[in-house]
Amino acid sequence: MNRNRYLADYVTLLIVAVVLALVPLGVGGSAYYLRIATLMLIYMAYAVAFNIIFGHTRQLFLCIGALAGSSAYLSVVLVTKGSLPPWATIPLGIVFAALLGGVFSYVSVRRGLGVIFVGIVTLVFSLIFHNLILGLRELTNGETGIETRGLGAAALESGRGSYYVILAVLMACLVVYHLLMRSRAGMAFRAIADDEIAAELAGIDVTSYKVLAASVGSALVGAVGAVYAYYSGFINPTVYALVSVDIVVLITLLLGGMGTLLGPVLGGVLFAVLDELVRPLGRLNVLVYGVLMIVLVITFRHGLVAALRKIAKVRIP
Amino acid sequence: MIAILVDGIVQGLQLSLMAVGITLIYGLGGVLNLAHGQFAVVGGITTALFIGEGMNPLAACALGVVSAGVLGLAVDRTVLVPAYRSAGEERLLLGLLITLGLSFVVNGYLDYKYPNIALTIRLATPSFNVVGITIRTASAVVALIAIVAFVLLFAFLKGTLLGKVIRSVIQNEVGAGLCGIDPGRIRTLIVTLSAMMAGLGGVAQGLFSSLGTEMGNELTSFALIVAVVGGVRSINGTLAAGVLLGIVNAFASYFVGAYLTLIILLGTAVFTILLRPAGLFAYRT
Amino acid sequence: MSALIAVEGLKVAYGDMPVVRDVSLEVRQGEAVAVIGPNGAGKTTLFKAIAGMLKPRGGKILYRGARIDGLRHCDTVKRGVVYVPAERELFPQMTVLENLELGAYTNYKSRRERLEFVLRLFPRLAERRSQMAGTLSGGEQQMLAVGRGLMTRPSILLLDEPSTGLAPLFVSELYRQLSRLKEEGLTILLAEQQVPHALSFTERAYVLENGAIRLFGKSKDLLGDPEIQRTYLGVA
Repeated sequence: MNRNRYLADYVTLLIVAVVLALVPLGVGGSAYYLRIATLMLIYMAYAVAFNIIFGHTRQLFLCIGALAGSSAYLSVVLVTKGSLPPWATIPLGIVFAALLGGVFSYVSVRRGLGVIFVGIVTLVFSLIFHNLILGLRELTNGETGIETRGLGAAALESGRGSYYVILAVLMACLVVYHLLMRSRAGMAFRAIADDEIAAELAGIDVTSYKVLAASVGSALVGAVGAVYAYYSGFINPTVYALVSVDIVVLITLLLGGMGTLLGPVLGGVLFAVLDELVRPLGRLNVLVYGVLMIVLVITFRHGLVAALRKIAKVRIP
Repeated sequence: MIAILVDGIVQGLQLSLMAVGITLIYGLGGVLNLAHGQFAVVGGITTALFIGEGMNPLAACALGVVSAGVLGLAVDRTVLVPAYRSAGEERLLLGLLITLGLSFVVNGYLDYKYPNIALTIRLATPSFNVVGITIRTASAVVALIAIVAFVLLFAFLKGTLLGKVIRSVIQNEVGAGLCGIDPGRIRTLIVTLSAMMAGLGGVAQGLFSSLGTEMGNELTSFALIVAVVGGVRSINGTLAAGVLLGIVNAFASYFVGAYLTLIILLGTAVFTILLRPAGLFAYRT
Repeated sequence: MSALIAVEGLKVAYGDMPVVRDVSLEVRQGEAVAVIGPNGAGKTTLFKAIAGMLKPRGGKILYRGARIDGLRHCDTVKRGVVYVPAERELFPQMTVLENLELGAYTNYKSRRERLEFVLRLFPRLAERRSQMAGTLSGGEQQMLAVGRGLMTRPSILLLDEPSTGLAPLFVSELYRQLSRLKEEGLTILLAEQQVPHALSFTERAYVLENGAIRLFGKSKDLLGDPEIQRTYLGVA
């Protein structure tokens, strides 16, 4: 009985892995499209993490970019200034991001902060992060940023190799998501998202589960952020700004569907296509994203997966 | 020292000008206007452009404020309607996300139409002397604008019927409805008023330093911080908090430098949210 | 005499849950009518629907013969149907005077004479005219809520459980003042859990249980009804 229920999830994960693995072949030799595909994977992974934090426990963390950047900068700075190898510093970045996210969550729940205040606090954190990076110029090189080529993360520097490494990271995120959702934590999340007060009364330790969601989500964000730093060849504050990460993640999840397994993946594909279509518009692309976000939030709030579920009458994960 | 204090107070007044708009719209059932800074930038840029064309500064300022107001009106009647149709947490989320998207729309458009813009509103005399202290004319003008604006605002809210009606909708939307007040029309008025205050804030920003697209998000953030510290539902609190933070900003910048100061301010906001979510100067209900 | 308010076959639901099922009642000019019933019977929902705050799923609400069930709340107030909820919904950071003034919003020109009238009716409010509404006691807040409702010279006042949270002394005083209003010709529709007061104050009453009218008639008769006595008056 139970196996059947998760069969759909496993099949989905397998299909996703296979399809995405085939993409580099479909793309031929084009380094340009390979890069776009790789970026798509990155954003999918961010979206999976945000899905856990916001999609399932309604914690509006408007600081995904800052969390990713915190992990990335910590890792890179430790490599450049501390002469440690990347594979040692990336876990540190992950832990750091997880700690930050966990603390934000814990303090917010403890103080009974509503969605708005969590949003404000995390937005302020994004600002603090941005200015901290600019201010600690000796460590971070400020606005100019740091080159990450040749720092030792060789696996992330080749074209195809990077793609598969990052695909592995994405699959890991999806698997973590799946395992989390099918555990007792997942049930708690559903109850909390439905009616937090009722969940509390029913004996669910809302604080612990929310902090868990935030920490796990932030850890994943940290992982993706750090990996991206080495992949892209350089980092600077703009790479992890609100307009670079958070809005993309929000649109991706709105497009795909929050609270679902496939949501981030489908949303990521749609967004990648959209991004390409919008590229010739140059600077106007931000405007398009803004319009898209407004339209999605108003009309298409539940995303593609929900729409497909209705049409196909099949419980797509 | 006094020069720093004066500078701080003036900066604080500008911050309050921005923050008051946030407080007004938040009173509409928790809609957090993340596009507030964009209203300011539109107002400021319009003013600067018209002054550049040779228009009388006062007229240009009025035009800038009006243009910000018109934008606010348009936003309220179109994009915010779905948020008003819902209530409670859904309204919070919708309002937040819609205005976030809106901020990107305005930013994107400005970036496209006026890439790399950095406008300043220059005045005839850069500074003058009072009692041996050199005061930048810009500071004096900003202070004057802000004080006049606040005096008018307070007089309007406390003295006129419309002002009382606005306060009533902010204090209790249901109660206002019971009196036969149409919350929808009042909301539009509040959003327009708030946008105009933001426009003034943008003009002030243009006088102080420079106006560019990226200022929008920064202005929103500062407005949020001040509004939060002063109490998102209290207009008096917002004014007090703005001046206070302005003074803190001025002194801290002088002693510890720009970045650390910013972090101090942001930290203050976070602490206030954690210790007294209603704001430092909010009413004890 | 034709009905001031006539409700026919009203159905109101929250989502899928029906709360008011097929309710019909009427209130004639100058009458005081009570709607009594246990918690959750649907009294507040019924009142909110009449006031235009909720949209009914079916049925009609007629005021002076014209349908008002499609109107917005602020428009029903303009017509003279004023609702005073149990939660009062005052403006806490405004003075008693300001609260009353705003009550006259739809009839602003006549606010001065109405103010005199209301302050004479509720001398306690006159004493505290410059006090913030949020600092008033429960009983005073209730008076202010009723007073505010009166400011617009309503044709009918819908009072929802006005005795909620009030000490017995205040309840008696409140009903004394309501009687004076009745003498002035005000039509009142009252929802109450305090059954004895409600039934002695009104001419007719409806018993609402589970969203439907179970019983109705002259208040006097209902007071004497053994079942009512058992259920609502605690008489064995």
